[in-house]
Amino acid sequence: MEKQQIFEEVQEIFRTIFDDEELEITREMTADDIEDWDSLEQINLLVAMEKHFNIKFKLEDVHDLANVGEMMDLIERLVG
Amino acid sequence: MATYLITGASSDVGTALIRRVYKSGDTIIAQGSGDIEKLRALAEETNGAVHPYDVDLTSTDAMDAFVAEIREKFDTPTHFVHLPALRMVNTKFKNFDEERFLLDMNVQVLSALHICKAILPAMAKAKTGRVLFMLTSYIIGLPPKNATAYIVAKNALRGLAQSLATEYAASGITVNCVAPYMMETKFLSDTPDLIVEASAAANPMKRNAQVTDVVPAMAFLLSEEAGFITGAVLPITGGAAY
Repeated sequence: MEKQQIFEEVQEIFRTIFDDEELEITREMTADDIEDWDSLEQINLLVAMEKHFNIKFKLEDVHDLANVGEMMDLIERLVG
Repeated sequence: MATYLITGASSDVGTALIRRVYKSGDTIIAQGSGDIEKLRALAEETNGAVHPYDVDLTSTDAMDAFVAEIREKFDTPTHFVHLPALRMVNTKFKNFDEERFLLDMNVQVLSALHICKAILPAMAKAKTGRVLFMLTSYIIGLPPKNATAYIVAKNALRGLAQSLATEYAASGITVNCVAPYMMETKFLSDTPDLIVEASAAANPMKRNAQVTDVVPAMAFLLSEEAGFITGAVLPITGGAAY
């Protein structure tokens, strides 16, 4: 799957989870940049991505994700 | 000889509790909904002491018929254990599904209310009784986000338990609740592994609750010797909430 396509689909998931149709994500974005992004929403995001991309995260893999970019890189590796 | 009425008895907790508390001579009225094969097996194991009932608690008519049957066919229960709930749905409040919420209120709260109304006056005459409700650790302290329906129903159940505890204390009836941390049972079958794993990682004991953590505590609250404990909500949480 193309990087750009993953980016767009991840952006859609962010928009749904945070209920903000205008949300523009960046690779550098972190939980500090979105007010509602707490540990529960982090899990909701990851579960939504698992479902959307038909992948399975391991807790230890997602634990140290530093930003949206790392999240997308992980998805890219898992989607293959 | 005890007569147990257990609703939600086909759950992992329900069947484990039956195995834990059953003594020869006891009668166990065991309600499940659509999944009572395990209860039928228990009925065989106990030579018919377990009486399985398949009752859809979302239907008030089915619930009324069940309550009428209990009153007609059995001695007044000495123990009532109430376990049923619809699966928790993680959803934002703006998407709150009132129709499903009302079904959950039927399953969790109205069923308990109907049954208590039918049996507690008779329990009070007998001057003894044990009532126990299944809650959740989510009702201790700050509730999680996106779980409004579940939290409201469980708090209603707590309100019912504590009101009954006060009203029936003088009659020798105790009414208590257990509030376990996320419990690894078939109730979680729709919950993504990541959520279950994250819950375990967030617990001070680094794991979720197991049926074997919860059932012995329930058996204690149902026992003769727990007679001075009423109105309690017992956290079974590995230290995550209390």
